[in-house]
Amino acid sequence: MPIPLYGFLQGDTVGLLILAEEGDTIQSLARKLQDAASLRVASRDRVQVVYNDKAMDPAITIAQAGFQALDRFDVISG
Amino acid sequence: MLSREEWLPLARKLDWDYSYVREEDVFPEVMSGHPWLPHAEWKDWEESFKTSYREYVDNQYEKDMAVQAVRDAVGRIENVQKLAAPWLNCLKVHAAALPLAEFTGVIGNLRGARFGRDSAWRTMATFGALDEYRHTQIPLLLFHPLVRLDSQFDWAHKFYHTNNWFSVAARHFFDELTVGQNAIEFHIATNFVFETGFTNLQFVGLASLAHESNDHMFERMVTSIQTDEARHAQIGPPVVATVMKHDPEYVQYLVDKWFWRNWRMFSILTGFSIDYLTALEQRPYSFKEFMEEWIIDQFLRTLDEYGLKKPWYWDILMDELDIYHHMIYASAYSYRATLWFNFVVPGPAERKWLRQKYPKYWDDMDAVWEQVSKRWRTVGPGAANEFAVHGAVMPTFCDLCQLPLSAGTPRKNTARVLVHEGRKYIFCSEPCQWIFLHEPARYASHKDVLKRVLSGEAPNQLPNLLTEYFNLTPDTWGKDAYSGNYDWLRPVAKNSAA
Repeated sequence: MPIPLYGFLQGDTVGLLILAEEGDTIQSLARKLQDAASLRVASRDRVQVVYNDKAMDPAITIAQAGFQALDRFDVISG
Repeated sequence: MLSREEWLPLARKLDWDYSYVREEDVFPEVMSGHPWLPHAEWKDWEESFKTSYREYVDNQYEKDMAVQAVRDAVGRIENVQKLAAPWLNCLKVHAAALPLAEFTGVIGNLRGARFGRDSAWRTMATFGALDEYRHTQIPLLLFHPLVRLDSQFDWAHKFYHTNNWFSVAARHFFDELTVGQNAIEFHIATNFVFETGFTNLQFVGLASLAHESNDHMFERMVTSIQTDEARHAQIGPPVVATVMKHDPEYVQYLVDKWFWRNWRMFSILTGFSIDYLTALEQRPYSFKEFMEEWIIDQFLRTLDEYGLKKPWYWDILMDELDIYHHMIYASAYSYRATLWFNFVVPGPAERKWLRQKYPKYWDDMDAVWEQVSKRWRTVGPGAANEFAVHGAVMPTFCDLCQLPLSAGTPRKNTARVLVHEGRKYIFCSEPCQWIFLHEPARYASHKDVLKRVLSGEAPNQLPNLLTEYFNLTPDTWGKDAYSGNYDWLRPVAKNSAA
């Protein structure tokens, strides 16, 4: 069951709905948001995912990070 | 026979003491509004126009004839065809947003005409209701026939009857402002904040824009409407003055809440119109300059006059003058098929002008337009490529204003998540959350478009969402006004200078 999340990419003008799977890594979550916003924001290689004001380890899954439906996460230059 | 000066004051101030019912039952608080006060507190309610019904009808007839004459002279389809493509879309925005919103104003004014607390107030609200009928009929009369020129003008009638995301936001706003409101909040929110604060002056600005754009029909229409607004907006100040004597904190709350809610709608309608949909050489000012000169200064003077303070979020609002409508416009451009009018990409000359007018955050906005332009260059111009330069993933919306989560700056979006009574909400900004928390029962059960999609009430695939839920068709959904075919986007031939 996908988990709907509010994703905010630094440089973008609007938040986007990202449907994540529990097993998605933080890194793949960042990639999903960058792809979704690519019309407006050029892709960057080095980014960080920030969740609850903390930078997340890119290797862990969103289940391990504790993401819940309709939470906010940010992808910022890292 | 009494002279006008003798009978008009008698007719306008026709209040009496009730013998068979209590005053609280004739004017219950739920309809008349808070604070409930005996009529003695309202008996000095007064406004300066003091119009009789006969004078009202004579004046309105003259104004309608003037609009009709201009329409006959310059309002034909062949005249409209000569207007610049971006401006034509400014007309479509207003053709949809204006008429039925004005009709909700009829309902609000009729509530004031029955439940206003003094007969002079009720008389003026009756004229206000007639004004708002006129403001419904005129734009429908002028705009809807243009459907023969362009099917997007069908949204003059259709807009508020759809679940289009902007329609959902506009209904959320106008339903609360006008349709479901008690008399006191309606007249403070609508006459004192919306009309005195925004639209009365907005219409002066719009008339000036229309004049510069050679659209004399629209110029005449908004000028004619503005003269009505200037009159019936006079209901608000004496209501504010009386309530200030008894519950100033409540007035401050209403002003703070409604200035913010008005700003959200106004910045989109007028911000788009001035900074993007008016040709560069015809822009008399930027949206920010217009706000500072026409709205902000006047609003602060009015607040001071009534002993009110600046809204607590004033610094946030001042910052948004530089960025909010730009964030929304870029977002809406990239989801233009979800709307009923067409958009333009600002070219190098427009972006230079925008940088000059909005230096604070323009670097970040410019990067967005550079990326959009790059996509058009990659796929090439043409209607067939529209969806290659369009968002595919669902955008998100605020649980209060129902508009996209586009507040803050590209560097830092100000959206905030709140858990309230076990349910998760998201707001675009601190003021939207503040309004929600002040009256959660009023707002909590409403679902934004995204939550309707997630709950299965609305389709989750973009084509179905557009056609089945937003009532758009390939003919009417928004496009790039030039299909990406901009001179400045064409590659320059290497030997062109030779």
